[in-house]
Amino acid sequence: MGAKWYLGTGAQNDVVISTSIHIARNLPQIPFPSRLSLPEKLKVDSLIKQAAENIEDFNFNYYEMKTLSQAEVVSLAERHLVSPEFASSRDGRALLMTDDESVSVMLNEEDHIRMQVMYAGFSLDEAYRTADKIDNGLNSRLKFAFDPNLGYLTQDPSLLGTGMKASVVLHLPGLVTTAQITKLITTVSKFGLLLQGSYGEGSAAKGDLFRLSNSVTLGITEKAAIENLKSIALQIAAQERAAREEIFRSPVTEDRIFRAYGVLRYARLIDTSEFMELISLVRLGAVRGIVSMDTSRLEALMIQMQPATISLSVDRPLDRSERDKLRAERVRAFLDA
Amino acid sequence: MICQSCNKNEACMHMKRIINGKATEVHLCSDCARSLGYGEAYSVSGFGFTNFLRDVLLNTESVELRAVPCPVCGKTFEEIAEDGKLGCSECYSAFYDKIIPSINRLHGKVKHIGKNPSASELQSQENYLDSLRSRLAAAVNEQNYQEAAILSDELDSLLKKGGSE
Repeated sequence: MGAKWYLGTGAQNDVVISTSIHIARNLPQIPFPSRLSLPEKLKVDSLIKQAAENIEDFNFNYYEMKTLSQAEVVSLAERHLVSPEFASSRDGRALLMTDDESVSVMLNEEDHIRMQVMYAGFSLDEAYRTADKIDNGLNSRLKFAFDPNLGYLTQDPSLLGTGMKASVVLHLPGLVTTAQITKLITTVSKFGLLLQGSYGEGSAAKGDLFRLSNSVTLGITEKAAIENLKSIALQIAAQERAAREEIFRSPVTEDRIFRAYGVLRYARLIDTSEFMELISLVRLGAVRGIVSMDTSRLEALMIQMQPATISLSVDRPLDRSERDKLRAERVRAFLDA
Repeated sequence: MICQSCNKNEACMHMKRIINGKATEVHLCSDCARSLGYGEAYSVSGFGFTNFLRDVLLNTESVELRAVPCPVCGKTFEEIAEDGKLGCSECYSAFYDKIIPSINRLHGKVKHIGKNPSASELQSQENYLDSLRSRLAAAVNEQNYQEAAILSDELDSLLKKGGSE
């Protein structure tokens, strides 16, 4: 499957970083996880685990969350494989995940089943096809709570209907610099979409990374929700490109990019938020062709440099300054490569 | 139209509210709307779902009705109005009439038109039965009778389950 996702997506890579599909499902006649005892949660885990063993083309690894260390759990959240909510409490929760980490299924998060498919680039249709296959696979062995009028039943009524949230992560330094983000957040909400910081909220979004997702799930088909998201994402990408044209008219932008590059290249200590701010500028320079770099590796670097993930990579707890030192070393090595 | 609260500014927010079973129209300017807490209804997260449920709750006359629990999970409508979360999938049928207006407000619609599990369920069930049948035939062919017995039991129980529903 691998190479295919990137083929049709090159045109949007300057703005669209990744795509994900989230689907929520519940088992009927069993209370939602927040109202289950620990033994009941474990029963739900094992039912779903068994069902997942029989899905064609997917090999899931199974993790009981309580067997993982705190750092491992936080790192899963930093890699967007589990929600921060899921990481916050581990008892009775479990995770199914493929080796390449493109598919993860949280068991006993807010709903019994929360599956996620995450692909690089702009690949909504492909990601949905995969999620749909897993949904059908689980559904062939498990009954799901469903009402003909309300669709799939979820703990949070805002997910009723398809139970599906599709999203794309967008890199919007142009719209941030030209102060258009707040207006854009309001505008997209009128189209039933939500735009929010991918790391951190609102205009304080770290690394100028934003997640655009559908907020309406009832009375709309999966296909229509995805098409709507696609067309708005393309319009935002066009606006972002126009904003970049505007900011590049001033020599200040190029100066900021090269200063950022210089700091990343030579700094000996660097914390997460400074790193995110600078790497965003360098990415902007790279897609513009003024800094030579393979941008497809930048998203992975952004994830690897998050606090828990970087600590995990050395197998011992690091304090803040050790982490900042290691981060600076890794970034220098990355830029030298 | 002038704001009903301050009677000064032009009203920019117009909405219908059900108060004690009667529809009432409300017209407010943006400042008054915000200070009266209406702004939340238009915020991106939650759409004021719990506030709206609380309104419905306050309009439920009897205290006993509020305390009737869902037969499956035991959550009452009062508790749902408090945190905006349902206790189980059966809560939706237990409190259907009370919850529908809030769901309508949240999504703008209350008719699901997306994927239908029964179609995929039946299709996948059929596929799974087919695969069991062919694995059974293969096991018999290879004279692997232990495997064949297990597969045949599973097939029987699935077919029986399908027939009884």
